[in-house]
Amino acid sequence: MSGVLLTTTVGSFGKPDYLQKARNANARGTLSDSELLELERKATEEWIRRQEAIGLDILVDGEMYRGDMVAYFAERLDGFKIGGLVRSYGNRYYHKPVIASKVRRPKPLTVEWYRFAQGLTDRPVKGMLTGPYTMLDWSYNEAYRTRRDAALALAEVVRQEAEDLERAGAQYIQIDEPAIHARPEELDIAIEAMGIVTQRLRAKTISHVCYGDFAAIYPKVLELPVDQLDLAMHNYEYRWLDLFDTHPFTKELAIGVVDVHSHRLETVDEAAEGIRRGLKYVSADKLLPHPDCGLKTRTVEESLDKCRVVVEAAKMVRAEIAKTAAV
Amino acid sequence: MKTTVVGAFPKNSDARQDLRRALHRADRGELDDAGLAEVFDKTTAWAMGEIGSAGIDVINDGQIRWDDLLAPFAKGWRNTERGPLERFYDNNTYFRQPIITGPIETDGTTLVRDFTFAKSTARRELKAAICGPLTFATLTAQDSYYKSLERRTLGVADALAAELRGLKSAGATLVDVEEPALAAHPEHIDLARAAFERLATAGVALALHPYFFPVDAIVDALAAFPIAQLGVDVRSRETSARAIDRIGAMTRTVVLGIVDARNTRLETPRELGELVEAALKKVPAERLWLSTTTGLEYLPHDVAVKKLNALADAARTAGGVRA
Repeated sequence: MSGVLLTTTVGSFGKPDYLQKARNANARGTLSDSELLELERKATEEWIRRQEAIGLDILVDGEMYRGDMVAYFAERLDGFKIGGLVRSYGNRYYHKPVIASKVRRPKPLTVEWYRFAQGLTDRPVKGMLTGPYTMLDWSYNEAYRTRRDAALALAEVVRQEAEDLERAGAQYIQIDEPAIHARPEELDIAIEAMGIVTQRLRAKTISHVCYGDFAAIYPKVLELPVDQLDLAMHNYEYRWLDLFDTHPFTKELAIGVVDVHSHRLETVDEAAEGIRRGLKYVSADKLLPHPDCGLKTRTVEESLDKCRVVVEAAKMVRAEIAKTAAV
Repeated sequence: MKTTVVGAFPKNSDARQDLRRALHRADRGELDDAGLAEVFDKTTAWAMGEIGSAGIDVINDGQIRWDDLLAPFAKGWRNTERGPLERFYDNNTYFRQPIITGPIETDGTTLVRDFTFAKSTARRELKAAICGPLTFATLTAQDSYYKSLERRTLGVADALAAELRGLKSAGATLVDVEEPALAAHPEHIDLARAAFERLATAGVALALHPYFFPVDAIVDALAAFPIAQLGVDVRSRETSARAIDRIGAMTRTVVLGIVDARNTRLETPRELGELVEAALKKVPAERLWLSTTTGLEYLPHDVAVKKLNALADAARTAGGVRA
């Protein structure tokens, strides 16, 4: 897909009330898995239609069938067990997985969902995976002697899944590493693990990084073997762009231009200004505006509003570029 | 050898989610402030009961009201507020970065009400806790008043000293100072010491807990800190024999973190016994306390309780061996 300032999102959207209720009912055992699946499909289709209607260019399936980005995979891989509730922030909790024994992928985990979502639209839908380093960092490791051993074992299962997504037709495969700067001294491990995942992929590869000290891993993070880095920028008032003055950014940049943890809706002008700031460092064909992070903590309406702002801001800046070119 | 805990205890468990539900109801406007305060108090009493029942000698209130280590202060002080979310060091746990808009002011009673409640509930020796001044200052997102890390750290320290005086008036005799920034940024050790001098003016015994990172780089400088206790994680991080030697030579109580509060793998009695035995060669038993490496809130509740039991068992075993 070619174009300038292609708009996209990071992966998750708010779940509609009926799905949230259905997930709770399923957890309580009062709704069957197949009934839940039907509702997940319905919600996924709604989100595909909404993304088309808003005018986003590169779509996601919205992760209606996932709770947490690590737990979803951990629940389906051999070797993991799911631990009890742990707080993430404020009043938000998740079931932090435990790597209890050697990790193995019994069967593909996301390919059916990719096929379903892509089957609903002509626009490209991204394959969405969680990276090996983040899977390790967000789990308790009881099974592997070192963190590197665990990361490389996880990389092997993520590689299998990524290659299956490519075979199923995915043109974009996103392998998120939001934990990559948790321990800057382990960046080499994250890079080595990602190398295992992407070594044979021809699809466009993307990695989303957010919430942490990006300065601590830049410019070394440019060695992460993916085509595109996807960064939360609005939340940081675009301060990471200053780093690109010293060490030029060498990849495609998906740039976060609206905050996802605030109920406040940014103005189109505000988001457009974020895009213009990104354009000082990355050309328009390599700059992809999007919200800072997944929108799953927002309601459906808030998710929609934030995406609309991104799309309108991109239109505004595209028009400016066209006007300049015409002069 | 006394046992103790550091930091926050899980606020909910898979079986008990009263506080989580109450906060959701408060968010939706279905529960008023008084109703929420009651749930906070009940949850605090529950957490303190859990810690005490496991056989821990010196307990805290589990920091049930604390959204994060900085929150009570960023919320309670004048001219500070809670800003954007950020990852809390190398944890998959997030906090709101403080924003400082003017000179930090406090009447020193930020923690008094909660400490008084905990004291009325506690059946064991109770200690209080504050955030370390360097941690607060280095994790601040915006500061339009102090403008330099040095002035900010000392400004925060003065406010914290006022809180310590408030806690002392409320009956606190020992206060943990949770200061991960000290081990994370050893380059600021002199600044941190100046800040601790200000904390010491409150006249209450301080326990310094520089958790998450190895303390080797700062261990020599710590000798000059005006503290009664020093927490050292010897379980989750490699701590050199030299560092333990140095710490043992100091004339203060060492709070040895032997139970890893950030991994579910349960320590065996043998592993814990070896850590205690090794420490006893450097530190006399009367100056040695046993503890978790950091707050147990990084673990699910069921594992947190097992870790407390393992800790209490280790102390009993070590005591038995010595007797």
